[in-house]
Amino acid sequence: MYYISAASTISHQPAFRNAGFSGVIEPLHAGSALINPDYKEYIEPGLLRRMSKILRMSVACSGDCLKQGGIEQPDAIVVGTGLGCLLDTEKFLNNALTVKGLLPPTSFIQSTHNTMAGQISLSLGNHGYNMTHTQNSISFENALLDAMLLIDEGEKHILVGAADEHIALLDEISAQLNIQSDCGLTSGASFFILSAEKSDQTLAGIKDAEALGLVKNIPEQITAFLDRNNVNPDDLDLILYAGSVAGTEDGEKDFQSLLKMKNLPVLDYMKYSGIYPTASAFALHMAADQMQHTRSIKNILICNSLIQHNLGLILVQSVEA
Amino acid sequence: MSVRITGIGIVSAIGLGVQENLLALKESRTGIMPFSFPDEDKMFMAGAVKATNPVLKKELQTKSQYISRTTLLGLKAAREAYGSAKHHDQIRTGIISATSVGGMDLSEQFYQAYLNGTDADFAMLKAHDSGSTTEHIAAELRISGYMNTLSTACSSGANAIMLGARLLMQGKLDRVLVGGADALTNFTVNGFRSLMIYDEQWCRPFDASREGLNLGEGAAFLLLENEKSIRFSGNKTLAFLNGWANAADAYHQTASSPEGKGATLAMQKAIEKSGISLSQISYINAHGTGTKNNDLSESVALINVFGDQVPAFSSTKSFTGHTLAAAGAIEAIFSVLAIQNQLIYPNIHFRTPIMETGLEPVTIMQTEKPVHAVLSNSFGFGGNNSSLVFSDHA
Amino acid sequence: MDDLKEELKRQLIEQLNLEEITPADIDDNTLLFSDKGLGLDSIDALELIVLLEKYHGIQVTKPEEGKEVFRSVNSMAEYIRKRQN
Repeated sequence: MYYISAASTISHQPAFRNAGFSGVIEPLHAGSALINPDYKEYIEPGLLRRMSKILRMSVACSGDCLKQGGIEQPDAIVVGTGLGCLLDTEKFLNNALTVKGLLPPTSFIQSTHNTMAGQISLSLGNHGYNMTHTQNSISFENALLDAMLLIDEGEKHILVGAADEHIALLDEISAQLNIQSDCGLTSGASFFILSAEKSDQTLAGIKDAEALGLVKNIPEQITAFLDRNNVNPDDLDLILYAGSVAGTEDGEKDFQSLLKMKNLPVLDYMKYSGIYPTASAFALHMAADQMQHTRSIKNILICNSLIQHNLGLILVQSVEA
Repeated sequence: MSVRITGIGIVSAIGLGVQENLLALKESRTGIMPFSFPDEDKMFMAGAVKATNPVLKKELQTKSQYISRTTLLGLKAAREAYGSAKHHDQIRTGIISATSVGGMDLSEQFYQAYLNGTDADFAMLKAHDSGSTTEHIAAELRISGYMNTLSTACSSGANAIMLGARLLMQGKLDRVLVGGADALTNFTVNGFRSLMIYDEQWCRPFDASREGLNLGEGAAFLLLENEKSIRFSGNKTLAFLNGWANAADAYHQTASSPEGKGATLAMQKAIEKSGISLSQISYINAHGTGTKNNDLSESVALINVFGDQVPAFSSTKSFTGHTLAAAGAIEAIFSVLAIQNQLIYPNIHFRTPIMETGLEPVTIMQTEKPVHAVLSNSFGFGGNNSSLVFSDHA
Repeated sequence: MDDLKEELKRQLIEQLNLEEITPADIDDNTLLFSDKGLGLDSIDALELIVLLEKYHGIQVTKPEEGKEVFRSVNSMAEYIRKRQN
């Protein structure tokens, strides 16, 4: 078991510095906006002035996590991002194609995917392992697996999280490519402290996680994952999912029939987070928060098949006080 | 502690495939030459791969319309490294690739058309995200399961190798194809120009007169296997990866610290993990980009680690140009080739040592000394520093 | 009031995204790259080179040249006037 000692999210839900938020969340509606904290409280002005949305969110969540966990320096910083720093990427691309003469370098510097992890290390003065994973819809799960591997190797506290940012062009792209979505494309960031040992701060445990690409038989993978972890379908209290395990419109029914559990609570977490490649990190915070506040919840499975050929699985378990 | 390397594949400015690269290295022949993008007049020095997209597509027999040059280069190298490896139910296979800009070569074509308001093809953007390059390569090689892409700027390729080794050591996988790929793009060339570190002359790593880097493009992959996998594959071990480490410099968004903190930590930890003593390191394949800042900081770090006994070192970026996320993987293969063929590569275009450190890289190919262990450095933006140690023994 | 210097202050704020600062906060002699002044760094120095080209048509080809020029608004104004004459 790996222990979540702190969690911090910036999203459309009132999650930031608000334990118990999972009890008051509502599905997104048209026009709902990201709830941003006052970034000046978390980031020094010298760093803040250059930061795009994704950087502000990531650095603020990281700082908040460390504060909650009472940890000065994590042993490592691991970040997942599906599309990276889109605002700066588009800005530099635009400048490069339209400006004659010298180009301002800042947006180029901040266009690389590891800008979040780099800025976090810079803001903390952290010299540990620093990694950025980007595998589209399973970027967060890949980052989480790296963090778990670090703990297996003997590290104590890992700062692990994910972030993605929305730009207007994405809406145009998804319309042009006929990508259907009920809930809009948006931004979000969630960070965690993953620890080797249980403490008073522990919110929940992660029993296991998996990230699979070009996966052929999703239902088979899900049942194998549960078997491997000695969890029966009727041990599950809740499934948080994205995408569809059987390719149908009705995700809830798909899960209930797959696991032969008629009354299994199943929830599409993207209705609450909005759509972005690393929204499963939001689901993990939601799961940990629910466990913290509803003691009867023991097992939550996060099943992310936002993109049909990728599968992310996270088994979250409650930790006895 | 060690992991077996059983396959290597490479595409760079000095050749398509391992044999062509080895030959160019032996002949001290650089691949950096005047280059211009199609439809543009402006020439600049770059390490372009001498094969066009149509040629690569034909050779790779891929029909996909929306395939980025990064993916084409990656696929070419990955095929060579993977060889005839077959799917096996008992062997857990993974793939980790690295790229800094993914399908940017297509994205910038799209964006130009988009800005002009002329029939922009949105489907081109399906190749944009970095993960899609890995997915494409995996699909062609019929690899499914553990699939990951690392993007930590110029150290990405080394990090992919490190993560693969860690997954094998922890028993999560039996074999893993690891490497990186990046194509030359307007985006990156303009980017390094905006930082005023693109040398319009030949880049001169570690030389007092250095003015910056020349970009290159390419890809390299290595197949790492555990004993179980080797029993099935029958592959020969080419060399061992013995040590690895990544450390953050935490000094500046782009510049390296004057005292080379992150680089020093990465080298020290990687060597410590390898169990190989400092004096046993035969050669260092330095990061050596040719920028004022990197080469000075790296030189200081070399002295921090080795004192007055700095081993023979050089930057092979004077052959290939700086291939960004591919660099760590390309230089890993050069390290393997150095061990296999007893070679210490020259640092082309070096004349005068950096005043502050006085360090002199190797300038003439050395073939007399045995090469048992090689340290390879890869440092990136955001202070992301990685070092790998390769050797001829477990 | 020196128009060029006031213009430079506004351009500095815009180019470097100095969100919390107004032209009145920048003295002609404020040290731009000192922690006691604006605390700018080497990325800002490159942005200032872009600024000189964009607004004043002046090209600086080597970042090192900027060191003295970018000491303060005063030194920048002086340099611009010298180059334009």
